[in-house]
Amino acid sequence: MGNVIMADLARIPELLPSIIEMVAKVVFIFTMNMGVFAPLLGWVERKQSALMQDRIGANRADILGITAFGLLHTLTDAIKLLTKEDFIPRGADKPLHYLAPFIAVVPALIAFAVIPFGGQYVLWGHKTNLVIADLDVGILFVFAVASISTYGSVIAGWASNNNWSLLGGIRVGAQMLSYEVAMGLTLVGVFMVYGSLRMTDIGVAQENFFHWGIFLQPLGFILFITCALAENKRTPFDIPEAEAELVAGYFTEYSGLKFAMFWMAEFLEMVTISGVLVALFFGGWQIPFVTHEGLVKFFGFLGSNFAQVAVMVVHVTVFWVKVLGWIFLLMLIRWTLPRFRYDQVMELGWKIILPLALVNIFITGAVMLMVM
Amino acid sequence: MSGTYRKVDRNVTLTLWERLYLPEVIRGVTITTRHFFVNFLSVTKAYFGGKPSDRKIMTIYYPDEKPVLPEAYRGKPVLVLGSDGRGKCVACGLCEVACPPKCISIVGGMREDGTRRPVTYKLNGAVCIFCGLCEEACPEEAIVMSDRYEGLSEYDRKLMVYDKEALLVPEEKLGKRLDYIRRRMFGKWNY
Amino acid sequence: MELLIFYGLGLLALFAAAAMIMVRQPVTSALLLILNMFCLSGLYAMLGAHLIAILQLLVYAGAIMVLVLFVIMLLNLREKKGIVSKHQIALQTAGVAVFGVFMAVIAARLHTSQLPNPKAVTASFGTVGAVGRVLFTDYILPFEIASILLLAAIVGAVILAKSKV
Repeated sequence: MGNVIMADLARIPELLPSIIEMVAKVVFIFTMNMGVFAPLLGWVERKQSALMQDRIGANRADILGITAFGLLHTLTDAIKLLTKEDFIPRGADKPLHYLAPFIAVVPALIAFAVIPFGGQYVLWGHKTNLVIADLDVGILFVFAVASISTYGSVIAGWASNNNWSLLGGIRVGAQMLSYEVAMGLTLVGVFMVYGSLRMTDIGVAQENFFHWGIFLQPLGFILFITCALAENKRTPFDIPEAEAELVAGYFTEYSGLKFAMFWMAEFLEMVTISGVLVALFFGGWQIPFVTHEGLVKFFGFLGSNFAQVAVMVVHVTVFWVKVLGWIFLLMLIRWTLPRFRYDQVMELGWKIILPLALVNIFITGAVMLMVM
Repeated sequence: MSGTYRKVDRNVTLTLWERLYLPEVIRGVTITTRHFFVNFLSVTKAYFGGKPSDRKIMTIYYPDEKPVLPEAYRGKPVLVLGSDGRGKCVACGLCEVACPPKCISIVGGMREDGTRRPVTYKLNGAVCIFCGLCEEACPEEAIVMSDRYEGLSEYDRKLMVYDKEALLVPEEKLGKRLDYIRRRMFGKWNY
Repeated sequence: MELLIFYGLGLLALFAAAAMIMVRQPVTSALLLILNMFCLSGLYAMLGAHLIAILQLLVYAGAIMVLVLFVIMLLNLREKKGIVSKHQIALQTAGVAVFGVFMAVIAARLHTSQLPNPKAVTASFGTVGAVGRVLFTDYILPFEIASILLLAAIVGAVILAKSKV
């Protein structure tokens, strides 16, 4: 066995570029999610909702009179949550109570592994593919991971020894189960159209503007965004944490950093959903009417390597801009629509979205047969 | 009580268009988006070299910006100090009588030239209800309601009893309110 | 390296399976089962069966175990400290004995019989396309029969539930 390990170690030099690439991609995605989105979305949420409702929003925290449009509230929030008492209620299942926030936040982070945030580039002879794990099962991985994140909420509800939490946990379980089924089926049409589950393949196939998922699968898109909103557990579908009924639902008994982790998980899920939406329906890293070769040609004056770098930067920027746009839209929806009732959520999932998804698959199949 | 009443149909029947839900969602989102952008642009404009009034949002940044009060606003009642350096009050006691919670107490006296003046004039700010009846009752325009609304509460009730020195305000500072009083919109001129 | 991961996953799976039976609390037990399924999924992935691995996560760990947890939470099952009666102990011993004999037979059989030679795995092995093609050509009949079976089960469940409502 030692020999095997030595052999593996001996391969490190030849694998070095790949390892560097891998680490760089992981660090990039991690900083984007944890360093940019997790703290900033709190600010975006506050300010955007305020402006939508003709308010000003949080702006009083300041350092030497500089408020930075309320951005410093992120900092004060962090300090507050760090110094808060970490409360575990009596009778709670301590290990599970401790474990739940981690189960909630980790899947939200790793789901981004299969979402491509750029195309394929040849940099100094090394082929780079801007996705952390280019899995053949692709989008199924996101589903699997999303279904794991359900446990975070369910266990939190169970372990808190609190009736509100328990009800919240049960509601999470029911809602997630219902909408996972529907969400899987809504995307079958997309897989059929692009003939692949691999997200980079889907991204490459969307180079033509009119082959974007939104044009090929309009019904699938609407159904998917509904399911994604339900999976995210934000307002139109926030029955698991309905303030008016369940205090805060499954995280009623959480405080301090553990509460912050649930909060972060919600925001990260939103980023992931936006990423999936962009990758599947909005052309991923592609710019409308601009092909990869065209862009390379445009940056040709930089020399072949730096042209590739420039194209990469442009593509990655385009991807994140699209993701930001989607986060804006998701926030708009969250602050516009009132909450559904529990039975309405279930009815929407099972009686409307599921049959419509099946119809969508049928139509897609029929059209594909006719076209081919 | 008889009268006509409108029967409210609470069992609202939605049209097919409304039951599709999606068009209505888009309508709602359009409205909120419009609000967002209108407010976003106006706030940005106000921040970068505009006036605070450029903001389309009604909220004011209170301690930094003060609200513009209407003339009819009734703040802390004050005694008018004439431009000759004398208080206008003649200690007639009408405000004392008019005051519903009886927060004013006056001891009158004479100046050397024979004009009347209050020796002590106490107004208990903790009892005052800011009704403005003292101002209406005053024949000399000597007590008026100022637009001061800050710093009126204390942790000790004794500190809230204002004496004459704490109440006297120069006439020039109260010009707006005095003009307003002279428009005679109060009850006593309308009887 | 792969060997290390394999042993790690295998041991963890065994531990989770054993602990799942031992633990008294239903929720902890269910969570251990989920852990076991994770390890199994990892083992599948190491075999190159990526689709099966992800389906293991998606269907078993993701959906079915949520249902199990859901039921446990709805019934509010708590730790039960009952006395195990004598005949139950006898039953359990009998069960363990039968299982042991069964395993022994399998082990003996494996020891003597000739295992088929392992074939080299092709590049497309275990991908969605390969599994799908096999499923919808060679195994179409079992696949359809299974789906009809599941449909019958769903209809049966609906009828059973309806009679109570």
